Amino acid sequence: MRFAATVALALFFLSIEAVLTRELGLEVTRLDITVVLVVFLGLRATTLEGGFAAFAIGYLLDVFSGRPTGLYPFLAVLTFLLARAVSAFVDARARALFAVVCGGAAVGNGVLAAFFSWLTSRSGSSATFTSLTGLPLQTALCVLAAALLWPLLRKLDPAYERPQAGMLR
Amino acid sequence: MLSLFKRYRELLIVGTLLLYPLITYLSSGHRGREPNIADRAVLAVSSPLQRGLTAAIDGARGGFSGYLSLRGARVELDACVGELSQSRAELNALTEARAENERLRAMLGYTEGTVEPEIAARVIGVNASPHFISLRINRGESEGVRVGMPALTPNGVVGQVARVVGGSADVMLITDPSSRIGAVVQRTRVRATAIGAGGGADLHLDNVLYGDDVVDGDTLITSGTDGLFPKGLVLGKVEKVTREANAMFLKARVVPAVDLRRVEEVLLLPSILAFAPPVPEVKR
Repeated sequence: MRFAATVALALFFLSIEAVLTRELGLEVTRLDITVVLVVFLGLRATTLEGGFAAFAIGYLLDVFSGRPTGLYPFLAVLTFLLARAVSAFVDARARALFAVVCGGAAVGNGVLAAFFSWLTSRSGSSATFTSLTGLPLQTALCVLAAALLWPLLRKLDPAYERPQAGMLR
Repeated sequence: MLSLFKRYRELLIVGTLLLYPLITYLSSGHRGREPNIADRAVLAVSSPLQRGLTAAIDGARGGFSGYLSLRGARVELDACVGELSQSRAELNALTEARAENERLRAMLGYTEGTVEPEIAARVIGVNASPHFISLRINRGESEGVRVGMPALTPNGVVGQVARVVGGSADVMLITDPSSRIGAVVQRTRVRATAIGAGGGADLHLDNVLYGDDVVDGDTLITSGTDGLFPKGLVLGKVEKVTREANAMFLKARVVPAVDLRRVEEVLLLPSILAFAPPVPEVKR
């Protein structure tokens, strides 16, 4: 259920984002909505379910990128595993803390994407690092999106649907 | 063996999910892959959604601006009628020139039988990745779009088709780091290679010798030597020409002629190879 819901959300948001990016004329700075979904999975889902969902979300981003290479599924699964490691230390049940973790993930994701793009670029030039100039704004947008999406994501998490005290008595 | 798999099942599966795309990426690099069935399914689901959203936004914007522009409609109509008359006269002259051109081509044995028609397409989205910069358009395989077709606007070159599926295609912009276009400086005919700078905003010149005559403000056009773009399409203006001491080549920035952030429609040209004259038959 959570797998299908997060993947469907990713598909929906990526479709909308592609149109809005066209309307707003943004190029270097993008809202990486998939990071928010993958971090949520890392914090709340089981390893197998989250791993498959993160892979699927990365695959969607790969397809939407125009040139599927495998970079984004790898980064999504890596981000998921890192978020899962973080969840052992941080109980990100509050909206603000979740947004902060998403911000950190967006920075790591952006840096790693630029690094791997540079690693496989034809000339090995530093031009691929130009995308990092938009990273601060990208991170800020990601934090904002995480804060806004938090109520929706919480509904996907059964752990929040706890029975009220005394209900079963 | 089975018990070992069961014991480390999670680790093995997640490890595969992590390593498989990494190995694929490192082995294929920036080239990407041809769209498979799953890619086509995803695009088949997302393209109508993007098309609908784009139409809704354009419709709302068009309705609003149409209402605002009603006031000056009469004056504009008179001006348009005058321009139309002039355009008709020019069209007649061009028709004559075309007919003459066709006669001359026929005399030279040149055939256009293989040339595909130009295709007008609408931009329905911009890809969601800042690392590969491309536009999604609403024309695909079913309309005759092919990988490698040049995309342009009346102002100049936008890019080339990088991927095609049933009803949509992705156009790689000229500012993408993977984009390389054979170019020539219009004023001095100096040859160069225009390479995407990667930031989504501009290009830079490559393979231009230190002593070549290139100055700020020069117009850069396609040279037609790359096998993709026809000759003479405007790429942009040369800016910030720098000649470093002891360097063999000069450096220069090129500002695209088209505002790539605001492209709404593109025209796809048939591949330049379609324009090539047929190879004459050798009589034995």
